[in-house]
Amino acid sequence: MKNRNVVSLLMLVFGILCVLTLAHAQNAPEASEKGKEVYENSCAHCHGTEGRGDGSAAENLLPKPRDFTRGLYKIRSTESGQLPTDQDLFDIITEGMPGSSMPGWETSLSADDRWEVVAYIKTFYDGFKESETSPRVISLEDKIPYSEESVEIGKGLYVDLGCVECHGNVGRGDGTSAPTLTDEWGFQTWPANLTQGWNYRGGADTEDIFKRFIGGLAGSPMPAFEGDSFLHFGLTAEESTRLSELENKDEMTAAEEEASEQFYEKMDAAVDVALNRAEGMELSAAEQQTYNNAMKVVYEKSWHLANYVKSLSPEKRPESAIGNNVLRSQYVQGALPAMDDAAWETLQSGYFPLVGQIVIEPRQFNPTIDSVNVKSFYNDKETAFLFTWDDRTNTVGDETDEATGKTLEDALAIQFPVKVPQGPTAPKPYFLWGGRLPVYLWHWKASAPEQVTELTAKGINNAEVQEAQGELHVQSAYTNGQYKLWVKRSLKTDDKKDLQLEPGVFVPIAFSAWDGANGDIDTKRVMTSWYTFVLEPVPSSRRFVYPPLIAILSLGLLFGLRAVVQRRNSEEVKNM
Amino acid sequence: MKRLSLFTICLIILVGSWLVLRFVIGGVISVPIPASVIAMYMGLILIAVLVHISVEDSLFREFLRPIHETLVDDKRRVRRRVIAVLIPFFLLGYTYSIIAQRANPPGSPRDAHPSPPLELTYKDEVIGTMQDVVNPFRHYEKDDPEAFKAHVENGRRVYHQNCFPCHGDHLDGQGHFAPYLQPLPANFQDPGIIPNFQESFFFWRIAKGGPGLPAAGTPWDSAMPIWEDYLTKDEIWDVILFLSDYTGYQPRTFGEAH
Repeated sequence: MKNRNVVSLLMLVFGILCVLTLAHAQNAPEASEKGKEVYENSCAHCHGTEGRGDGSAAENLLPKPRDFTRGLYKIRSTESGQLPTDQDLFDIITEGMPGSSMPGWETSLSADDRWEVVAYIKTFYDGFKESETSPRVISLEDKIPYSEESVEIGKGLYVDLGCVECHGNVGRGDGTSAPTLTDEWGFQTWPANLTQGWNYRGGADTEDIFKRFIGGLAGSPMPAFEGDSFLHFGLTAEESTRLSELENKDEMTAAEEEASEQFYEKMDAAVDVALNRAEGMELSAAEQQTYNNAMKVVYEKSWHLANYVKSLSPEKRPESAIGNNVLRSQYVQGALPAMDDAAWETLQSGYFPLVGQIVIEPRQFNPTIDSVNVKSFYNDKETAFLFTWDDRTNTVGDETDEATGKTLEDALAIQFPVKVPQGPTAPKPYFLWGGRLPVYLWHWKASAPEQVTELTAKGINNAEVQEAQGELHVQSAYTNGQYKLWVKRSLKTDDKKDLQLEPGVFVPIAFSAWDGANGDIDTKRVMTSWYTFVLEPVPSSRRFVYPPLIAILSLGLLFGLRAVVQRRNSEEVKNM
Repeated sequence: MKRLSLFTICLIILVGSWLVLRFVIGGVISVPIPASVIAMYMGLILIAVLVHISVEDSLFREFLRPIHETLVDDKRRVRRRVIAVLIPFFLLGYTYSIIAQRANPPGSPRDAHPSPPLELTYKDEVIGTMQDVVNPFRHYEKDDPEAFKAHVENGRRVYHQNCFPCHGDHLDGQGHFAPYLQPLPANFQDPGIIPNFQESFFFWRIAKGGPGLPAAGTPWDSAMPIWEDYLTKDEIWDVILFLSDYTGYQPRTFGEAH
């Protein structure tokens, strides 16, 4: 009797949970005046009053704001070729799209308003009205959990499936076809840098990544894993491996010819079925079986690949080097490590996020370089810096800017004040290459990779190459979408226009970077405002002297106290 | 139950007060108290405790008794040894942590409300005194709502072509470039911003940007551009109308009602 009560209670709780879960995946209300009002007040400046993605801000944006009139949505939980669910649209509005200018509206629009907007943007595309069935949602049921083995399999698939072509050998978005890609509207688009999960437009959870594979990013060059855009669609994993072996052979025996021929026929059949299905045709039971078998392989491989992609990026965007997190140069005795020395691996890097320079024309509203990472060592005479930053292309000055006729190339500039401001209220030079107070710059260009030029600047358009170029040692490299630059200079120089370095002094530091392939030139660049760096003083050896001394002293005091009390006690006893 | 000794009670009072100040008020109720203020309170409590135990000889002796016992009594041997280990070790760790502490960079003080100049200028042209200049299009709000709407719409365009990467779609200072700027861009949704200043103040801040800030209260690191280089006078006034129209906050006025 008692047991039955417990069971019915559990069932009731379970039932409530089910209802709540279903209620969570809402559908949008009918489009209303309210939705139009919210849209026009909060969305139209980018997406346009007519939903064409042509609002007044659009001209300065890349990625461009979505054109809602085509019904093409990148971030969906639905299969290839399907419209998004209402919940998908609601989630994007709520959370925004990292790495683009689409903000999350969770705090600035009420949930009701967001649902109204979902209903309203659906009116821009007739397909929403016409579709009678709800879109087919991607199943996440057979998720393959993250493991070293799965990552290893995914790594192989990353090469086999051709991800390398766009996303590059290690995922920095630097594949050979990266610079040639355009979206459905003809705008340039860059493949994702998979090592920067914080910029994934649809989120960086393994499930998010998996959904992008199965559903594709509609309107972008990223294909959905279905039909002939998936390698060996219709074959099992073993058959696919076998076919690859056969294809790699110089000569096939007659039997092998026939085997491969059979594989091709099987693939063609599966691709046809997928096409028919996408067009909405009714499938026969046998065809449905063919499709299911093919997709089972796709799903399995996609989970492995998703696990691999997940492994490429840190969980979170690194903390930027502000506050007490400043860049600290570490003291070493003897020679400073060269660029490829393993000693650099022992240091943590300072992370400096870059933003577009939009203060002075020509401006850069659409940065392609995320950040620059910096490490530094120093010894009694010199300091060495290691700068690394991701750039999808190695532009070394063989292209020219149409507007100015100047040569486009990748570059980095490191900025210091000429004189370190004394005290917290002393003014720093203007953060954009100085002003009334001058700045001292190291300017590196990809076309002269073994050279850094010293500049003095009193404004972004007012920089001079120093007449007396000091002795700077430079090494650099570009591999797999990443620049490495190593610069070594003596702490003190004879040049009054140079910054003089001293351990323990907090020095302002700032960066500018140029991606030639993104049209960066002169003032059009990415930059940081002032950060701080310090040659971290060698910890005082006093730290090994005073603490034990104090400990011993305190112990002595305790014993002394005890002795005094004991003596007084015995005297009291005597006097009694 | 055994009565607590006076020494234990004093210890409980001191440690308890510190815990309340630091964790109950500072943590649970979340009104963090600065360390220096906590030190002050603790000083007062310590004095009160000392006064209490020293009013009478007998009380003082009662207070000292457990210390006395711990130092010499054979029954307290274990406690004595534990203390003889704990105190030196605590001091060892504490002094080490103080000496080995890394130096941190100086904070940079910032005047949130810089004082404007007496005269409002656009490039070199004097518009009037800061106190008297009003937005030339503000009167349309009453006189000609259609014209007012057109100015607000133009302000909206100007805002989204120039300001929103930093100040945000929602005017809340959270544009997509904002997180990487120091100081952070102004948040116009903050009720302390728009209602506290005249429109002439906003004109001054927009027209002259970061480099136009007064020398007092340096170092100014603001990334605000000098907008008079790119925007017309009318565009600046329009964008100010848009700021107050969108947020619903009215800038401060010194009108007849005053």
